[in-house]
Amino acid sequence: MNRLSIAALALSLVTSGAARADSVLVLNSEEASYSILSRSTRTEVARLPVGREPHHLILSPDGKEVLIGSTATNELLSLDIKTGERKRVVKGILDPYHLGFSPDGKWFVTAAYRLDHVDIYHADGFRLAGRIFIDGLPSHIAFDTESKTVFVTLQQSGRLAAFDLATQTLKWNVPVGNAPAGVVMLPDDKRMLVALTGEDRIVTVDPKDGSVKGSLQTGKGAHNFFPKGDGRHYFLSNRIEGVVSLIDTKDEPKVVGSVRIPGGPDCMDITPDGRELWVTQRFLRRVAIVDIDTMKVVGNVPVGKSPHGVFMLKSTATVTAGTGVPVRAASTAVDPK
Amino acid sequence: MRDLIDIWVGVQAWLFETLVSPVLFHFGLMAWYEPGYGAVEFVMLGVVQIAVIAIGMRFFERRWPLEKSGKDDDLIMVDRIYTVLNKLGLIPLGIFILTYPLVQEIELAVRSWGYMPPRLERLLPWIGDNALISFLVYFVLYDLAAYWLHRGQHAFGWWWALHSLHHSQRRVTVWTDDRNHVIDDLLITLGLVLFSQLVGVQPGEYVIILMVGRLIESWSHANVDMSFGWLGDRLLVSPRFHRLHHALSTPGERHIQNHNFAPVFPIWDILFGTAIYDAGTRPTGVDDAAVDADNGRGWLTQQVTVFGRFVRALLPRFSRRASAR
Repeated sequence: MNRLSIAALALSLVTSGAARADSVLVLNSEEASYSILSRSTRTEVARLPVGREPHHLILSPDGKEVLIGSTATNELLSLDIKTGERKRVVKGILDPYHLGFSPDGKWFVTAAYRLDHVDIYHADGFRLAGRIFIDGLPSHIAFDTESKTVFVTLQQSGRLAAFDLATQTLKWNVPVGNAPAGVVMLPDDKRMLVALTGEDRIVTVDPKDGSVKGSLQTGKGAHNFFPKGDGRHYFLSNRIEGVVSLIDTKDEPKVVGSVRIPGGPDCMDITPDGRELWVTQRFLRRVAIVDIDTMKVVGNVPVGKSPHGVFMLKSTATVTAGTGVPVRAASTAVDPK
Repeated sequence: MRDLIDIWVGVQAWLFETLVSPVLFHFGLMAWYEPGYGAVEFVMLGVVQIAVIAIGMRFFERRWPLEKSGKDDDLIMVDRIYTVLNKLGLIPLGIFILTYPLVQEIELAVRSWGYMPPRLERLLPWIGDNALISFLVYFVLYDLAAYWLHRGQHAFGWWWALHSLHHSQRRVTVWTDDRNHVIDDLLITLGLVLFSQLVGVQPGEYVIILMVGRLIESWSHANVDMSFGWLGDRLLVSPRFHRLHHALSTPGERHIQNHNFAPVFPIWDILFGTAIYDAGTRPTGVDDAAVDADNGRGWLTQQVTVFGRFVRALLPRFSRRASAR
């Protein structure tokens, strides 16, 4: 069966309701393609071309489309959430490496990892409101719950920066540790977690001024977070250690579980029933499936080269991080390319 | 196929996670984390290439040698050193470290301007739907760039001063392809990387193109009188075709080395009028005593000597002063 036939089959499957509810998208960053996986059969249904060097993807505020950041072609590629078909291409989005919408859906922000700038767009029409050049490889982004501030980790300079969304100006830029990557705002809106990929720990940061309030050892190459969905626990990929940790953020953060995932574990997503965590294994060209209750690997699916972002098509309902706080930033992780 | 991929990436990941990433992490070099993983694959591909050359291609040379063993046999040893240094990535690593910042700066500047390379998939969308066709199209384009770079090596005096090292070998064999001055390697690499970025070759494709292309080039230097037939010799560079490019010039064929430049696809020589097809065998090497003197020298001495040749060609005044002394 040639690729076109597979593509046609895949689209027909994705178009059907059953297939849609069952599908997972994975971005193969080094072969300019995305894989469509079946959750029930744990197989790759199709692999389709998409842009160049796609790394992360995000659900649109209206929940109708998935936007893929094609970094080397400076564009967003939109897939229909219902049909899986390509809807449109948004051009002129420079180096959209990591991307996210503010919780109120008004702002769209990209971290241009290679080009060293942070772009803040009016989400309506993707009109550029401001471009802030900042040294240090901007990688991950997170928002406060009031949609006033966006936080960006600077992987090379070891800093965390905060920008005012309305004025597109820098609020503060402070050191937090070696090679910060994943960043997440906790539901209380008073603490942020930052993963230090150049170290073996995460730090707790005060969103007011970026001051480091605490530290937790997790594993070498602490990299990115994904909310478990109960407002309290977060998964963390540790790329060099080859481990995914489960962190309890009630009171002082602590590790309450872990599972060995070799091959540079990176981005994550959870099945709609909340029972499985799917983790991209960048180096092994696979996606690992973890049973969340037992924290054991129960399967894996072969995909393309350097799989990065992963997204459950069923998860069209906004993923919540705790007390109803919508998390619009791409839930998948950034790595040191 | 998937089993082979699993074995390959399994070994690659194990080597990287066991030997490379702990070192990068320890020394705070996480910016090299992803390139480091690619470097491991490069070394693994190098091992495969050396095995293919040493076992597969050498079989044909031993079984059906064009030039029999003789007094020049020892000259081949240094070419083996070149091959190992190149295939295992030591020379490419140095070149990568030197060129990476420059390539990055150029790429970032171009992208900052909002310029997007005219990718083929935009012009011909069907290319992107078929991995094999996509690979072949980019391979052909890559080879076109390599063809013109090769012509540049012969056209400019200063560049020929470097490239003549490659041609000075009297015993052209499967090991000869990597016999190049490091500056020559650097210039070619820079040219090909920039071209690849311009047309939008993906990193994964680039590695495969590089590996397949270099293997074909190694084979085209084989010490065998092999042709792929009338049609085959017009589709793929054969040892007989490329050997004419290395032929020793004579009064009757003064410019014979200005033919058959194509690294992989002879179509470029045919299109641009530089192809010759001739079944006659000729000795190989250069008709220049100063360049021929490269033979018998070791790797380092060749590099130093050829660098001097390069400087004199680049700066004729320096050459005249040196001569006057």
